[in-house]
Amino acid sequence: MPEATVSPRIYFLTYAALLCLTLGTVLIGYLDLGWFSMFVAVAIAAIKATLIAAFFMHALYEKVVIRLLIGGALLWFLILITLTMCDYITRSWLPVPGK
Amino acid sequence: MIAHLTTPDTADYLTEERGIRSWLLTTDHKRIGLLYIFSVTFFFAVGALFAALMRLELLTPTSDLVDPETYNKLFSMHGIMMVWFFLIPSIPNTLGNFLIPMMIGAKDVAFPKLNLASWYVFVIGGCVALYSMIRGGVDTGWTFYTPFSTIFSTTYVVGAAAGIFISGFSSIMTGLNFIATIHGLRAPGMTWFRLPLFIWSHYATSVILVLATPILAITLLMIAVERIFQVGIFSPELGGDPVLFQHMFWFYSHPAVYIMVLPGMAVISELVAAFSRRAVFGYVFVAFASIAIAVIGFLVWGHHMFVAGQSVYSAMAFSVLSYLVAVPSAIKVFNWSATLYKGSVSWDTPMLYAIGFIGLFTVGGMTGLFLAALGIDVHVTDTYFVIAHFHYIMVGGTVMAFLGGIHYWWPKISGKLYPEGLARLSALIVFLGFNLTFFPQFVLGYMGMPRRYAAYPPEWQALNVLSTAGASILGIGYLLPLCYLIWSWRYGPPAPPNPWRATGLEWQTSSPPPKHNFEVTPIVTRKAYDYEGMKEELGLV
Amino acid sequence: MSSTEILALREQYGTSDQQREVSTIGMWIFLATEVMFFGGLFAGFAIYRMYYTQGFMEGSAEMEIILGSVNTAVLITSSLTMALSVYNISIGKQFRTYLLLLTTAVLGLVFLGIKFTEYYLHYQHHKVPGIWFESSSPHSGAIELFFVYYFCMTGLHALHMIIGISIVCVFAIRTALGRFNARYHTPISILGLYWHFVDIVWVFLFGIFYISGLHR
Repeated sequence: MPEATVSPRIYFLTYAALLCLTLGTVLIGYLDLGWFSMFVAVAIAAIKATLIAAFFMHALYEKVVIRLLIGGALLWFLILITLTMCDYITRSWLPVPGK
Repeated sequence: MIAHLTTPDTADYLTEERGIRSWLLTTDHKRIGLLYIFSVTFFFAVGALFAALMRLELLTPTSDLVDPETYNKLFSMHGIMMVWFFLIPSIPNTLGNFLIPMMIGAKDVAFPKLNLASWYVFVIGGCVALYSMIRGGVDTGWTFYTPFSTIFSTTYVVGAAAGIFISGFSSIMTGLNFIATIHGLRAPGMTWFRLPLFIWSHYATSVILVLATPILAITLLMIAVERIFQVGIFSPELGGDPVLFQHMFWFYSHPAVYIMVLPGMAVISELVAAFSRRAVFGYVFVAFASIAIAVIGFLVWGHHMFVAGQSVYSAMAFSVLSYLVAVPSAIKVFNWSATLYKGSVSWDTPMLYAIGFIGLFTVGGMTGLFLAALGIDVHVTDTYFVIAHFHYIMVGGTVMAFLGGIHYWWPKISGKLYPEGLARLSALIVFLGFNLTFFPQFVLGYMGMPRRYAAYPPEWQALNVLSTAGASILGIGYLLPLCYLIWSWRYGPPAPPNPWRATGLEWQTSSPPPKHNFEVTPIVTRKAYDYEGMKEELGLV
Repeated sequence: MSSTEILALREQYGTSDQQREVSTIGMWIFLATEVMFFGGLFAGFAIYRMYYTQGFMEGSAEMEIILGSVNTAVLITSSLTMALSVYNISIGKQFRTYLLLLTTAVLGLVFLGIKFTEYYLHYQHHKVPGIWFESSSPHSGAIELFFVYYFCMTGLHALHMIIGISIVCVFAIRTALGRFNARYHTPISILGLYWHFVDIVWVFLFGIFYISGLHR
């Protein structure tokens, strides 16, 4: 299987999109969105990361095994953060200190 | 001495190049496997020495042989040595390294230089850990719980952590190599469902190595930062949360248990099939059980923290998930037992170890269910019950499998046969010594004897004496194979290519194999363990 | 097969396609370990952010947003030049690849320069935990924790940058010596993957450290 080549046009488009998103995230950052501000910051970062992975890193054109690896890494990170968070979020549910 | 009758013209991997340089700069996966065998045996001996001192101390109720501070260092260093420098690399880096490329019909692993680098990194890590032990040791327990490890302990925490941190990279390199090798270098015709179960288990192990080890690395790094700069990450008085440390530590260290036992299961699948002359019952189930253990193994870490201040809701979730991981483990035990049924079973040494593994692993696994139950766990947390439980898995499981595997593949590794009678005797000694050592600890733990103390009330002495007696028998059981295997390397009769008449590509090349494993790349046309179809080829009719 | 390609084909592989594929898989596995490596820090940060929302917001307000934004743009640009190097070597343009790799390395150095300027400013503002930390805020403990995570994460990122820049330089020289061509350039593609990954890490660091407390 020959290596996937992506035309430079797509690279430049990706680059432009990334710069716009960077500018956008800074501008939105000046708005007071409360707890939502973190959510927006991470969401925009996730979109940027997806663009980089898909086009610069050719993930979009890769074989199934590469996509499995990416999915696996993300899933495992989610396991770590979700199950740990479960503990921290539910700690205050019982009115007993330390439980 | 009779020269290798089967391949008179070609040199094997042991004789192809000579001299210390050819070993230290080798990229041959078989030689690297041997380097690992020597190094893990050395670290095992160091860890065993600490264990022996602990058992001697516990012979009497008072702390008379060593003072409590020294005892704290002994159990910490025993744990660190055994977990990171013996158990984790024990089977994958030795037998796995030696066999994976051969079993899939490849010439070498995907990245041979990385493989050699992993050995160097491992040895450097081991030396750093050993050096910090010689300088004065570490007394935090192998778990490095904060804030003791970061604020209060005055021992060489950073040195020991650095050793483990470094050796972690060796784990990652090995896991990466195995995954890439199994994906990319299978021989023509070697489809996923023709792979030996050894490969499936090692694949699952590698996934854990690759995804869990980085978390250990970052956790140890944070400990070092907190300790050196005295800033709060895990220390309550500085605003940090010690339970977060435990979450991160056990996110690695619970799956690490499966890094230790999955390769053991890999070996047992091979042994049971070879000595029953039957395909492993329910191949697909056993294969997927390995993957399931690897995945579910990541969801259960909180059961180490039931009394640590984690929320009860989270504890309940972790308890249920921990029960879940028993399912794939039980599938494996049932399928090995079912393989024996109507098989023509022979009781050679490796099979004795395999049967021992199945029994002891079952005991260890069942007591694991006790510990996954919230109520019972509160009663036995940090007692000898826990100690006995995980030694049944790690010593009764992994070490038995390691010894069984070493015996089974010894003719392939060394090209020599070991003395069968002596080997059977020592397998028996290991089994008896092991049970005598650790069974009393279940009772002691249930009676409430806490772990990590140098002294105990006199009424527990009888059981402790039994345990120490067992440990000395176990020690003899380990020394015997060391002696006769070294002896057979020099004086043993030469081994034929396939002394067990087993299936598997590794038996279709000479003993010991040539440098690139096969004279011609094999083409695979059968599924694994096809004893029925290969009857005539193997001379079993 | 060209001569460089035959030289580059290791004996355990049958074809150069197989070698390229397996090497790519190897790099992605390594990146998966990196996800978990940084992931442990991200998870800890997320939990403390949830617990000490106010203090972490105040910490975030201490960031140099102009320098941070410029730095993000610099790093994204270096990712573009890296992607273009991979493209150019795959169509055999060796000299152009050489120039693009050099540009990538220079941009990486600019990034590090700006980053260390920021570190110096934090030092001047007494915001380096364990060395010189002062804060009059009632949340000073949480702000300190914020800066511990900030220095650990951006420091590790900078370490990855330093490793990346060194390899880019080595590969630029090897490109100039004609070691890579249209048929054999796997090392450059793989280096590209690493470089882009380090870029992705920064994108998230920028989001969580600089942006989330900007409105204060």
